[in-house]
Amino acid sequence: MVLRIRLARFGNKHNPFYNIVVAQARSARGAKPLEVIGTYNPIPKRPTNLYNENANARPYKEVALDRSRAQYWLGVGAQPSDPVWKLLGMGGLVVPKPTTFHKAHSDSKGFG
Amino acid sequence: MPPRVQTGRVSNTLLPYLTSTSSTTSSLPSSSSQCLRQFSATTASQTKLRRQMFEWLSTAGAGLKNHVPGETNYLSRLKQGGPDDSNRPFPNNPNFVSESILSEDLREEIYKRVVTKKQSLRAVSVELGIDMKRIAAVVRLVELEKRQRSQGKPLALPYARAVHEMVPVTPLADRGERQTYHESINDLPAHPLTGSQIFYPVPESRSFNRVEAGRVFSGAPAMTNEEAAEIQHPYDLAQKVIEDPKSIGWIGKGEKARQILQPADARIPHPHMIGLERDRLAHPNERLTVQRRHSDRLARQEALEQEARQRAQEHREASQKTVSPADSRFDYRIQDTKFTKETTGANGRAPWAVGRRYGVPHEDRTRGTVKIPTRVDA
Repeated sequence: MVLRIRLARFGNKHNPFYNIVVAQARSARGAKPLEVIGTYNPIPKRPTNLYNENANARPYKEVALDRSRAQYWLGVGAQPSDPVWKLLGMGGLVVPKPTTFHKAHSDSKGFG
Repeated sequence: MPPRVQTGRVSNTLLPYLTSTSSTTSSLPSSSSQCLRQFSATTASQTKLRRQMFEWLSTAGAGLKNHVPGETNYLSRLKQGGPDDSNRPFPNNPNFVSESILSEDLREEIYKRVVTKKQSLRAVSVELGIDMKRIAAVVRLVELEKRQRSQGKPLALPYARAVHEMVPVTPLADRGERQTYHESINDLPAHPLTGSQIFYPVPESRSFNRVEAGRVFSGAPAMTNEEAAEIQHPYDLAQKVIEDPKSIGWIGKGEKARQILQPADARIPHPHMIGLERDRLAHPNERLTVQRRHSDRLARQEALEQEARQRAQEHREASQKTVSPADSRFDYRIQDTKFTKETTGANGRAPWAVGRRYGVPHEDRTRGTVKIPTRVDA
């Protein structure tokens, strides 16, 4: 069966919080996974306005990731879901997935 | 419960009182005829206390209506014969003394020394007699004020000026004069461990000072004779902690692990002042040497603290990667973590583990759970 690296939702209503987990693809979202390799908080946090260098800073989202475990699971064939692919891509662990726009752009280039 | 009477009109029952001092007559009696049912149409007369209040306001209290700039405007001003009542706002509570605030000049001086002259918070705190936390707050607030000015935002300057006129203020000393201390800077916070009363028999042949007392309070075993012999004075221990903060031992396991309670010498904000006082007593005639040793100690401590701050910053930067995607409104902070037995516990459910745990109830709605944040990441 396929192994997936995917998000498991925790938190209450309107307060999502995700564990980045390695699990069998057909198992339930809330089932106990093979392994937890990180967390992702999709609620953006705003840097405090107290310091001058923070004055124009963008809000940020927090990701925690065990890089070595992620690398191992990718190496043995675990497939990241799209949202996790995005996060792993930003962490430099996988090549970022080409968007539809990029694909269309490269296709038109190839044909033209 | 008596039946509620709907008059179809909301009236303020305090209205006759509110307008009692003004010359306008209350509108309540005239409009009361419109009510369907009326229990009392007469205006309540002023109470005795209220009449006395207005009497006092027009006689003795009239002197407090306008404040004298540079002096406090407290009730105690009326009471003559007190020792020095200018800082006591409540005449019947002599124990309450209103603390003074920093003057504008002093505030600017702090900012100049810390930001322009690059002096350490510790040194500025000792020179001006202001708590280190207050120094840090002043620097931050002055920075905010400067930013607001540069952005052209309005400042409540008349308000600030009026407040500074009415409360006691610590002024900045003139050049060459000694700065008056704003507050005591070396206060020892009361540690919760020291609240318990412990009966601890000690043989007469053994020394027992505040270092050992701290160990007893935290439940640590007594030191060996060799360890105890190394510490001539508790201040030696304070110096050791300054040199190597990790030299403080730990008691307990896992979640309940806590550091051994250190003597007051190590826990006060400025331990180096003990060194200065000891040097002064030991060498009363060598003022220059004592002063030089004091400044050496200050510089050493500052260098060590700077080094520790830098190490922490480097570690933070090495373990955290910030990605700013061009097509996103947000930054992503990717923090390195290790999901091992040590970090998540043997069963993967340790309370300090990163991420939400499986099979563990999330206690955020249980009674008594603290939901307000206890710290702010700035």
